[in-house]
Amino acid sequence: MSCKEFEERLTLGQYDELSGEDRAALDAHLETCSACRAYVEQAKKLRALLSERPSSEPSPELLAQCRMALDEAIDRELSQVSWKKLFRELWAGMTVLPATRVSWALAVLLFGFGLGWTLRPHVNLTPAGGGTNIPTQAGVATPDMSNMRINAITQVEPSPEKGQVRITVDAERRMTLQGSLDDPHIRKVLVDALRSYSNAGIRRDSLDALQEADGNHPSVRDALLYALENDPNPGVRLEALRTVRRMTWTPEVQKALTHAIAPGNNPGVRVAALDVLVEHANQTTLPMLQRLASDDSNPYVRMKSLNAVRKLEGEVSGELR
Amino acid sequence: MDGCLSLAGQIPAAPSRELAAGEEERLIHQAQRGDRAAFDALVRLYDKQVLRLVLKVVQSPDEARDLYQEVFLKVYRSLGRFRFEARFSTWLYRVVMNVCYDHLRRQRSREEVQGPTTEDDQPEYFHTVADDKPEGDPERTLHSREIRQRIQRALGRLGPRERMVFELRHFQGLKLRAIGELCGTSEETAKNSLFRATQKLRLELSDLV
Repeated sequence: MSCKEFEERLTLGQYDELSGEDRAALDAHLETCSACRAYVEQAKKLRALLSERPSSEPSPELLAQCRMALDEAIDRELSQVSWKKLFRELWAGMTVLPATRVSWALAVLLFGFGLGWTLRPHVNLTPAGGGTNIPTQAGVATPDMSNMRINAITQVEPSPEKGQVRITVDAERRMTLQGSLDDPHIRKVLVDALRSYSNAGIRRDSLDALQEADGNHPSVRDALLYALENDPNPGVRLEALRTVRRMTWTPEVQKALTHAIAPGNNPGVRVAALDVLVEHANQTTLPMLQRLASDDSNPYVRMKSLNAVRKLEGEVSGELR
Repeated sequence: MDGCLSLAGQIPAAPSRELAAGEEERLIHQAQRGDRAAFDALVRLYDKQVLRLVLKVVQSPDEARDLYQEVFLKVYRSLGRFRFEARFSTWLYRVVMNVCYDHLRRQRSREEVQGPTTEDDQPEYFHTVADDKPEGDPERTLHSREIRQRIQRALGRLGPRERMVFELRHFQGLKLRAIGELCGTSEETAKNSLFRATQKLRLELSDLV
């Protein structure tokens, strides 16, 4: 056996992938070759070194985030599929006669043309009560936003231009607003959507857009804290938490996080909120951490809180000395 | 095919919790008929193990989240075509392998365009794992952390196939035959990939061994 063959087989031998015969050949070569004995030592050290890599046990927070994101992705998938299915069924449901299909196609074409004519762009949009009213802001959003009444938001997405956002809304007709996140009116649409829109996907997209805005602006800040405390969707709460984490630490932030960690809340949100609270642990959070360390039903929360309590108590006793 | 994953060491041929006989099959049938709750239950049987594996490959929670989603969306879309010719776990892990392999290939081509990353671009590995270790000697912790980063960088320099084979054999304990089946290749190719990966790691980490 050559030294090259020995090296190849040794690798397999280390992983218990050799037959008895090959193993015997390996041993025989080793007895006669000092260079390969040195190689074996190095190979053992490499295996020991690689064991320094920790086992990557996913955190409960990450697992919860993955599950929520998957749920939302499947929801989106289902809504797309159901539209496609509806059209397919409609098309299949029509008689197989080509003439009927042509008639239907013409009817759809005429209907679309008529709808387009009816909803053609108007220069001045008149308020019609209800919805979100946007006051005048010259030259920021693409359409004239004067007193626009928004009935529904259908999409929020970042614009290719940095710091800009596109919001597709149904006002008197469907339109896309585009503007800077520094524009108070764009911010207002996003903040209102985040605080009160019923569709979790739109709330989440609004939140994503607001993450690029100045997080310390009062309206953005309030909306993010509100979302963290009150949003019914744990995915939105978790995303809000990511942004809140970067905010200046204030009693309001602490209060929202304390709220997020309340028993009964989503475990992923609780764990993520605890991580932030522990990062900013101080004497005002100590009683709450002590309570979590002793009473909480979640072992991770108890352990993490206990570590933070020990650290805080250690700091206090250090100062006293 | 069953024989393959019975060799599979730490990657489970069976789901993470014990199921009554036939329960998994029942869940699959229900999910194939569009029962969302059954699909969710099926996901929860395996998703922790899948996440653990993708975390080994990407080491960043954001990327792991994306891969997790890609895997289970693929499963969701193609579950209707699952015909029980292989175990569900085998089929699922093939999807995981393909997704990870594609990810590593994409990552590699991005790196080739962008050039190597700096020390500051180290993955946020420590955010991905449960923080269950007490704080020890800071100097030792720092040293260990540096070693882990070196290992991670060395692993990142392996080719996609070498990386997958090495991860699955060294860290997940799968037999090379099983790895060959999961990766859609032969046991011999898996052996060669393992050898090349080990040689490259030995060279990359030679000053530490």
